[in-house]
Amino acid sequence: MNCKSLLLAVLFLLLSGSALAGELDGPAATVENFHNKLLSVMQRAEELGYRGRYEELDPYINAGFDIPLITNVVLGRYRDQLNEAQRTDFNDLFSRSSTATYASRFDGYDGEEFLELSREPLKRGRVLIRTELRRPDGDPVSLDYLLHEKQGKWYIISVSADGVNDLSLKRAEYAAVIKEKGFNGLVKEILSKIADMETDTE
Amino acid sequence: MTNRTRPETPFSLLAVLLAAALLTGCATTETIDGEINPDPYEDTNRSMYRFNDYLDRNIMIPIAENYVKAIPEPVRDGITNFFDNLEYLNVILHSFLQGKLGQGLSDVTRFVVNSTIGLGGLIDVATDMGLEEHEEDFGQTLAVWGVDQGAYLYVPFLGPYTARNTPDEASSYFTNPFSYISTLYLLPVTFLNLLNDRANLLEASEFVEEASIDPYSFIREAYLQQRRYLIHDGNPPSEGYDDIFTEGLPDDEPKLVIE
Repeated sequence: MNCKSLLLAVLFLLLSGSALAGELDGPAATVENFHNKLLSVMQRAEELGYRGRYEELDPYINAGFDIPLITNVVLGRYRDQLNEAQRTDFNDLFSRSSTATYASRFDGYDGEEFLELSREPLKRGRVLIRTELRRPDGDPVSLDYLLHEKQGKWYIISVSADGVNDLSLKRAEYAAVIKEKGFNGLVKEILSKIADMETDTE
Repeated sequence: MTNRTRPETPFSLLAVLLAAALLTGCATTETIDGEINPDPYEDTNRSMYRFNDYLDRNIMIPIAENYVKAIPEPVRDGITNFFDNLEYLNVILHSFLQGKLGQGLSDVTRFVVNSTIGLGGLIDVATDMGLEEHEEDFGQTLAVWGVDQGAYLYVPFLGPYTARNTPDEASSYFTNPFSYISTLYLLPVTFLNLLNDRANLLEASEFVEEASIDPYSFIREAYLQQRRYLIHDGNPPSEGYDDIFTEGLPDDEPKLVIE
């Protein structure tokens, strides 16, 4: 490497160093915080009960996931039919539904651990973090997180478990329910699911 | 609920299934909002889903729940291993047909080890020896060969399929040694396999029940994505992960969802 190339390389590192460090640490930290909280809740699952798990997870779901972006995607073309107040209410409902699902499903601990496998930058500044949930008595489950940065913070915008993407599932379901029962019907169905999870788990 | 009978000639059934796959494959040219609709037969499929769901709730789930209560887990694991091993010849065939020679040889070793040291497949000793279990089938082979997915089909008694994966019924049948035993002896064994499979899926179906607001759409999406995941051997290309944030949106809309 000649002097000019070396100078350019050093200059590049100096210019990009802080940004690179931010990009690598930020998204991974968001996923790690979420995993650590899940593990903590799983380990104290019985003591906390459904309500306790819900209360502990709720701030992490709201801080770690970009709910407005996610609801935009899962509602698809139907979002244009909603006014601002309906969108805000739906964001809140979606957040409650997501927290309820995690609180209901992660209801015990059997030696599970989360392991980060890789980080990969994608187009438009998004980052893909592939992780694995390892279980002593079962096959590992791959959990792939897609994240993006908004106002200096990294948010999870989609999760895929063994290749099955949560946004695609919800978008397909919501479209089918809206088509048959309208938007109010969708809201009723989601509220009913949240109530079922509360009563089934408590 | 797979009540298989031997066809008159091996190739007649295969030909019928391939023809069905090709015909239903054509239907995927239907589009919704500019995107290919993977489920052009949704009305019929939903009827078939309701039919299967009725039989499942009223017959299979109660029997499977009693089976789980009556048969200890190690015995059920042995039964699962036994049938998985018999069905593994299909995996071996499709590992080779997809050009995965190393994996195919490992799969042959796995089958031989489990069939011998593993007491006819009852004990999965191969996994402990580092011989990984793979999931391959005719649908994945056709995908590797460049055949389109075709229409989504919900088949009575059998459940979700893509048109591309229907020929796997024939492939699984002809590679399973039990298919060459008289049907009379086969029926109770087929039923045990079916019951054991259903018992293994009880937790998954409870999850679908709990998590979904439209189980039909939930199962379709999960199945189609799981198929894609298998075709890529559990390592789908990274580019596909953010497709959902741009697909189907008019050119001026992405700014709504991309900060």
